Amino acid sequence: MAAMLSIDNLHVSVGGKEILKGLTLAVQAGEVHAIMGPNGSGKSTLAHVLAGRPGYQISAGTVRYQGRDLLALPPEERAREGVFLGFQYPVEIPGVNNVYLLKAALNAQRKQRGLPEVDAFEFLGLVREKMKLMHIEDSFLSRGVNEGFSGGEKKRNEILQMVILEPRLAILDETDSGLDIDALKLVAAGVNTQRSPERSCVLVTHYQRLLEYVVPDFVHVLVRGRIAKSGDRGLALELERRGYDWVTGEAA
Amino acid sequence: MSSPLTARIVEEYESAARSLPAADAHERHAAIEALRVSGLPTSRDENWKYANLRSLERQRFVPAATAAPLAGAGLPARLAGFPRYGFVDGVFATGSSAPLDASGARITPGTSGNAHRSFSADERFALLNQAFATGGVTLQVPAAGSEPARLELVFLASADSKAGACYPRVDIRLDPGASLTLIERHLSAGEQASFVASAVTIDLQPGARLEHYRLQELNPRSILFDTVSAELARESAYRLHCISTGAQAARSTLAVRLNGERAELNLAVAALGGGQQVQDAYALVEHHAPHARTEQTFRGIAAGRARVAFNGKIVVAKGARGTDSRQSLRGLLAGPEAEIDVRPQLEIYTDDVRCSHGATAGKLDDNMLFYLLSRGLTPESAQRLLKWAFLEDVVAQIALPALRRQIEERLADHLGDDTLRELL
Repeated sequence: MAAMLSIDNLHVSVGGKEILKGLTLAVQAGEVHAIMGPNGSGKSTLAHVLAGRPGYQISAGTVRYQGRDLLALPPEERAREGVFLGFQYPVEIPGVNNVYLLKAALNAQRKQRGLPEVDAFEFLGLVREKMKLMHIEDSFLSRGVNEGFSGGEKKRNEILQMVILEPRLAILDETDSGLDIDALKLVAAGVNTQRSPERSCVLVTHYQRLLEYVVPDFVHVLVRGRIAKSGDRGLALELERRGYDWVTGEAA
Repeated sequence: MSSPLTARIVEEYESAARSLPAADAHERHAAIEALRVSGLPTSRDENWKYANLRSLERQRFVPAATAAPLAGAGLPARLAGFPRYGFVDGVFATGSSAPLDASGARITPGTSGNAHRSFSADERFALLNQAFATGGVTLQVPAAGSEPARLELVFLASADSKAGACYPRVDIRLDPGASLTLIERHLSAGEQASFVASAVTIDLQPGARLEHYRLQELNPRSILFDTVSAELARESAYRLHCISTGAQAARSTLAVRLNGERAELNLAVAALGGGQQVQDAYALVEHHAPHARTEQTFRGIAAGRARVAFNGKIVVAKGARGTDSRQSLRGLLAGPEAEIDVRPQLEIYTDDVRCSHGATAGKLDDNMLFYLLSRGLTPESAQRLLKWAFLEDVVAQIALPALRRQIEERLADHLGDDTLRELL
């Protein structure tokens, strides 16, 4: 069976500057991988390239998702095929209702799988159930997407979307940044409900704090556009103790 | 200044004058004389450069002889509590209207109720209307103590412009403390290319409140020149909502004078243009008294090769201290060949005022678009959804749920997406 995600020798530039310089990574179904690294190492670039954000030049390498060429798919196809990006900076869209977006997103995915549109009543039940899980207030239902949300609310909303869409591959880009401990635990709980043998998750994070609550199967350290070190959860703890200099020095 | 166009208008007036109603001959004559002197605006006039004035060259200005009755079919659903009054080609259709006393407002066939003052240079199309209009009405709401009045005016354009022009005309007067909610629709009866020059004059006495919804949905072959002239006395409030989606070329001139202390104007305009449409609006707001407020919101979307323009000028006269005015004008370019012109203008002749304005014209936000794509929406539906959201600041101000729904349906049709209806 093909890997969930298989990245091979990926080179990516932004505005002529190479950010990812031969990144290789394989994620199997059921696995949670944490990608750590200092600022500017290319973590967010990786997350964006996987989701299909425009503005990145891919000069070499391949990315396969369940055996398919992921880079050949437009962003909306990737989403429909089960790739989900949790944004580091979720976008505010005043005037577009949260529930409408959730429903449109879920129906887009169902259409791809040949399923009928979700029943409006059942859908609302599902949303309310998941909102409870994420401690999101009822007023959310009538508000615009992320409109006037605090940083923590925006991140919880990303996770809410994820648990409703149930992606096969979730890529969470610094979802833990700027969260207090209570919000962090909620986000972690949301992520943990998604763990299953069919689903994979890539956590992009700067700190190991989140990994206390979502225990990863693998930890990778990204340095200057390449994976400099891989290991298990112990690697994250060691990083916490010794700092990134320990790895960046080694990689230099 | 007498251009060939003005000369022709005067000539057509003179040949038709005898067949026009004699009752208001004096006002007609004064209007055509004023027009003879001033002429109609040209594209060289600062506030007229975006209007499609060339379309005037091929118009006939004599009023169309109305033939078609006001058909029930094809008209928007009636709103509960709003008696409907119909007009065909500008002429009041008594037979297809609610009883005159059904609304709490006094409706009298005939105009010139507010003809006590002259029109400014940018209101010259009202002169054209005054010279030729034959079937307008006067609307009066008696002083406070009576129930707030509600009614709907439906102006149906049916005549081809070769047969003559349509001159919708309403003179509105709200007595002190009176209140009126007015829905004014401009629609086409068929596929004829009509020429419509409409004029509304409004006189709000102290403490009066007017909630005014104007929906312009003429067919895409018609031409509209439209003037609203309003005078606001002390502590009166005028809320004007304009939703303009129709016509091949539409120009609205909105002239509002805040003459009394603490008068309030809220102006919310949404304009959608596609194909080769022109949607042009000019709002002239004059603050003549202290502590009056103006709030202006404009949202315009231009797709295809359309041009959508909004020019909002606020004049704060000497002595209008404590004026508070806000303008939020935003245009959205939805096509590489489309054009957006938004322009706030402020002329302030006094200290101690608070005037803020913001004006932007741009494309859809790339970050918002990508966010929606990353959730599986197609580029087409993501764009439509963002356009819809862009209009929200205007649509959200519509205080009547049933009307809001009709307007949203119209906008969803215009944006071409059935799934948007789920938002309703």
